[in-house]
Amino acid sequence: MRLRLLWMFVASLAVEAQPGDLRGLWKAEGKAYLDLEAAGVIFDPPSGKIPYLAEARSQSAENYTRRASADPDARCFQPGVPRSTLMPYPFQILQNNRAVYIVYERVHSYRILYLDGKPHNDGLPYAMGDSRAHWDGATLVADVSSFSDQTWLDAAGHHHSDQLHVVERYMRTSPETITYEATIDDPKVFTMPWKFHVTLRRQRGAELTEDECEVDSTGARHHVAPRKNGA
Amino acid sequence: MQGVWQSAVISAAFDVQAHEASYQIPAGPSVIVDPPDGKLPYLPDAAKQAKLNWDERDRDPVGYCHPHGVPRQLVPPFPVEIVQDGDYFAILSETEHSVRVIPLNGRPHRKNYWAWLGDSRGRWEGDTLLVDVTGLNGKTWLDQGGNFLDENEHVVERFTMTAPDRIVYEATVTDPTVYSRPWTLRIPLARQPKSTELIEYDCVEGERDIVHHQNLQRQRAK
Repeated sequence: MRLRLLWMFVASLAVEAQPGDLRGLWKAEGKAYLDLEAAGVIFDPPSGKIPYLAEARSQSAENYTRRASADPDARCFQPGVPRSTLMPYPFQILQNNRAVYIVYERVHSYRILYLDGKPHNDGLPYAMGDSRAHWDGATLVADVSSFSDQTWLDAAGHHHSDQLHVVERYMRTSPETITYEATIDDPKVFTMPWKFHVTLRRQRGAELTEDECEVDSTGARHHVAPRKNGA
Repeated sequence: MQGVWQSAVISAAFDVQAHEASYQIPAGPSVIVDPPDGKLPYLPDAAKQAKLNWDERDRDPVGYCHPHGVPRQLVPPFPVEIVQDGDYFAILSETEHSVRVIPLNGRPHRKNYWAWLGDSRGRWEGDTLLVDVTGLNGKTWLDQGGNFLDENEHVVERFTMTAPDRIVYEATVTDPTVYSRPWTLRIPLARQPKSTELIEYDCVEGERDIVHHQNLQRQRAK
């Protein structure tokens, strides 16, 4: 017991030594998960439009047309970054002296945002990217790279290549809210980096629910909530 | 207990009971410590089912990229990271990105909840973390050898750190429609080097774990 109390004390010191506290369950407000442009959350460029290269814009339009079958989320792939944060499902943030951990309800994805200053694991095709973070005052800044080109940015087919680079800022704006700001850069798809922000709201008393994917008799994949066998 | 850990008994992933080596399966001792004979105390019908599962072990749910379930989450020789943060004890698995965020604050179990990883509630008993797991969906196996569970499964797990680099993991499983008595599995977890980072596991739910599948096909073709 004494050992445990000592460890708890050391662990609490370690977390308190971090300048910010993002711990808890959170969920994005608004409809950015459906369509980043239509939701009006893009503030840079001021037009609110994604600065696509011409060819990439038509790819996005094609994705939109085919979204019912082509959306990687509908087929239960890990949603990627920043899409995981925008979804209408909660995620839980944990902190210790090594990293900030984000566990998403959607397809039980998680990310580990390392704080030890090590460089990226570059060049690997991760759905959720490779995250290296630091504190800028009480704001957590995560640099995310090493992506596959298989995820989308939202349900409308806005997309990226394997050159995607995301810088996320998590700013606690009240006990109940975090402002999440992301800078999206991808020289193969966009003419310039662009930025959006959404509000994350604390989900008091909530708990993550398992979200798993099962295959139906036609071979199609579906997200399945916890249910009794055979139900 | 924070850090990255990994089962020190590689062979248990293939069969939690004692088994001889066969094609692509290393021999290993039983990790069942109770009953003392190291054998799973199957009821007669369940023993038949286990045999059938062994013959058709390409049906292993993990081969279809589903979460391992409990206690299998701690069995395969792949890293898991333990995170302790206030009221939570989290276990993040590299494989299948299985993850449990376990409340330690006395929160009651959820009702009508049937999940691959169940519903876990933890509490400290001295230096041992006890985790009570209900709400398991009965679709999971214990290993690649077809040892299985059903939806009446109830698990009590014990995590005890016996040295700075060692956790003894014990799970007592009660499942009265499959087993004639509760049984206990014990696996030592070895701390991995501090620099170990979990990498993203790219097995997407519903997809076949092709290598796993092909090995069995190759074996059958012999």
